[in-house]
Amino acid sequence: MSAVIVSLRVKATPQRAFAVFTQEISAWWRPNGLFQLTPRGDGVLRFEGGEGGRLVTALPSGKEFEIGRITTWIPAERLAFTWRQATFAADQITQVEVRFEPIGDETRVTVEHRGWDAIPQDHAARHGFPLGVFQLRQAEHWRALLNAMSTRV
Amino acid sequence: MGRRQRPHDPHAPVSIRRSIDRTFAALADPYRRRTIELLGQRPRRAGELAETLKLPAPAMSRHLRALKQSGLVEETHPDFDARVRIYALKDGAMADLKRWLADTERMWSDQLAAFKAHVEKKPK
Repeated sequence: MSAVIVSLRVKATPQRAFAVFTQEISAWWRPNGLFQLTPRGDGVLRFEGGEGGRLVTALPSGKEFEIGRITTWIPAERLAFTWRQATFAADQITQVEVRFEPIGDETRVTVEHRGWDAIPQDHAARHGFPLGVFQLRQAEHWRALLNAMSTRV
Repeated sequence: MGRRQRPHDPHAPVSIRRSIDRTFAALADPYRRRTIELLGQRPRRAGELAETLKLPAPAMSRHLRALKQSGLVEETHPDFDARVRIYALKDGAMADLKRWLADTERMWSDQLAAFKAHVEKKPK
């Protein structure tokens, strides 16, 4: 129901584009995203653990904020991770997919950011996949949130 | 993960933050998302929504109540019959969503431009 798609070409191979995107995110990320975690920016971002791992940011206070979990890690092709909107009071989870496509010796990099309509529990229920621990926690979280909402005047 | 996080945007008034919460909470359910999509096309009766979504009437009522409480949907009836309930999207209901889309698009445009500048400036 809601997706943001932004795309551009970079003068690099898909291999290098993927590597720099993931390994050097602390260097290229501009500190004025949607997080506004601290007055001085979003902290130092890093991807850790590959698929099943996470995207975290280290704040100046020394604390770490988990931005999301990595759901797809295919070097030179595709990277996908969940994205937690820290600006909202509720922990609202969205999905980001980054695609790397070769065009000659350049790469088209596409970011697609899907909203809550891509919450995995719906897909899993329909296709009979067992829900992973993360998805179960997410489902519990939404149920708890909705219960809280319904008892609030 | 059950702990509620304090809102981090110091500039958004509390009422806006709460309404975004409610919007996202209301849209967290796939039946409610589909209901919003259908009402986005045109107003509909509860019975029609239940049939299209293959939901029993009590479940449909619950979802519609949640959507009304979240401020996304309003209930009216035609002049000729007060018993007929028609549901419609409230004006401005999707304003928060649209703002999220605009903000998120701007963020990724900025970030991808920064990534491009970074990856292209290194020698090799």
